[in-house]
Amino acid sequence: MNIQWDWIAGNLDEIAAATLDHLWLTLIAVGVGFALSLTLGIMAYRRRSLYGPIAGVAGLLYTIPSLALFMVLVPFTGLSVLTAEIGLVSYTLLILVRGVVSGLDGVPRDAVEAATGMGYTASERLARVELPLAVPVIVAALRLATVTTIGLVMVTALIGEGGLGQLMLRGFNRSFPTMVYVGVVASVILAVALDLALVGLQRWLTPWARARAA
Amino acid sequence: MPDRGAGRAATIAFEHVTKHYDRREQDRGAPRAVNDLTLAVPAGKVCVLVGPSGCGKTTSLKMVNRLIEPSAGRILIDGADAAARDLTELRRGIGYVIQHVGLFPHETIAENVATVPRLLGWSAARQRGRAEELLTLVGLDPATYAARYPTQLSGGERQRVGVARALAADPPIMLMDEPFGAVDPIVRERLQDEFLRLQESLAKTILFVTHDIDEAIKMGDLVAVLADGGVLAQFGPPAEILASPASAFVARFVGTDRGLKRLSLSRVADLELLAPVTARIGDVGTDAHRRALAGSLPWLLLVDEIDRPVAWIHRDEIRTGEPLAAAHAAPAVPLLDRRATLKDALSILLDADVLAGIVVDQGQRVLGLVTVAEIAGLLRDTAIGDGAGAAVGGRAPGGDGSGSAG
Repeated sequence: MNIQWDWIAGNLDEIAAATLDHLWLTLIAVGVGFALSLTLGIMAYRRRSLYGPIAGVAGLLYTIPSLALFMVLVPFTGLSVLTAEIGLVSYTLLILVRGVVSGLDGVPRDAVEAATGMGYTASERLARVELPLAVPVIVAALRLATVTTIGLVMVTALIGEGGLGQLMLRGFNRSFPTMVYVGVVASVILAVALDLALVGLQRWLTPWARARAA
Repeated sequence: MPDRGAGRAATIAFEHVTKHYDRREQDRGAPRAVNDLTLAVPAGKVCVLVGPSGCGKTTSLKMVNRLIEPSAGRILIDGADAAARDLTELRRGIGYVIQHVGLFPHETIAENVATVPRLLGWSAARQRGRAEELLTLVGLDPATYAARYPTQLSGGERQRVGVARALAADPPIMLMDEPFGAVDPIVRERLQDEFLRLQESLAKTILFVTHDIDEAIKMGDLVAVLADGGVLAQFGPPAEILASPASAFVARFVGTDRGLKRLSLSRVADLELLAPVTARIGDVGTDAHRRALAGSLPWLLLVDEIDRPVAWIHRDEIRTGEPLAAAHAAPAVPLLDRRATLKDALSILLDADVLAGIVVDQGQRVLGLVTVAEIAGLLRDTAIGDGAGAAVGGRAPGGDGSGSAG
């Protein structure tokens, strides 16, 4: 294992650009995936009969091997960010829909009943009682989806995207291990940073969860 | 000064209210059915719905704020059909305390209490003021509790917050579903007492659900006993239900000790107290002895200069010609507060193994005596009622469902 530090020092711009690219691909995938999952999850929570079909489709998408999915999409959407994101978003759905539904299911029934009985409308109750109480479970799903997506973004290097994946692929093709190591280390740092950010978000959203009997 | 809203109350009337579920709903665990329930609760009264599990008491309660819609019949609030009212507006006008309190764990105590005011769009300052006022009312210091979260409170404190939250928008009606069910018996009794004291000034119309007949008797101005299948077995004041159960079911449900339960409805001060022969320390024995011989008890009660009991002296122990002293005396026990229930008084007398207890006022001054015999006399009256109840039960086993409307 011989790392060429001078290459790293001379190519910080490229490394930073690849990392930023990786970050964006991840954030877009998780962001769009979360918006879809929140909508689908709330629908499934309100109409239980929808949960089976929604979870079924999300589960089916999840089982398609990532490389195969990207390859299938290329004839339709080309070698593009869109192709990459369609695949990446698809893979977040199973984790996030399940997270949203089990988060909402886990809200104490008596809090929901009290809210209804005191005259919350269904949407007020969702916004003020159910979603806030589901935050810990939903954020746990977001953390899992984010870390998974960071790994999958690597694969999109094969269709011309991939952020740090590009770096690693080029290093591999050129038998230049330093680029591979940089890709690995940078993606781990990215994963840890995003995970910590989500933990911070959860702590900020749930001050009540830290309050314990004095 | 924000309004306390004392005395704002509405009437509630159930008119032939029925709720039934089809087979499929029952299999999925539907709530219990209610069968042709008719009863009227006057404004400002506490009506307790009591019965064994599965009698539909919670279902009846939830039909008032329409968490459950009746299959047939009407529920009138101040004469207006609840079904015709806007659902959210109806619910925001009804205080609701549920079995496990149901505080919002993610909101502070002040935010929890201000729930309905917030829904009604009150200003933040008015919400905060109201929350503080109500926390004080239920005995929780706002400075200590307002910013805490429900997990930081004890069970009893949470129940108090639940009551404060239900009172927040000064609703004319309160629905309380086993509101003190989740705490230990000692805390429950204290919460019951506090709530009754609160209700004296608030005078809300309250529908209160419990499975505990003792709680029903204690809390209710009116008690509705429901039987299995949601049939009203009897409706009336607690004393009436205890004295003359309308059916064998009611008699069984209120229990074989209902004579004793009736004793818990009366207080010592309601009795005609026996006047003891009293004397002050230092009085000359001769005169005291003469009066003691004329009294109904062979004992003389020594009191201090402001009539607080000191000791009992048997009349044979009194030394004529000498000043009375506490030396040969037995301690003046037991003392009974004038507000003690007859049930407690009897229990204290039996525990102390004496025939007479000394009833005192708040200043510990002697008001009179109460004897086991006197309380037992009341029990005998109940026993007569018992026979009558059994006779009614014999005619209509299972209950005829009408009862007497109070």
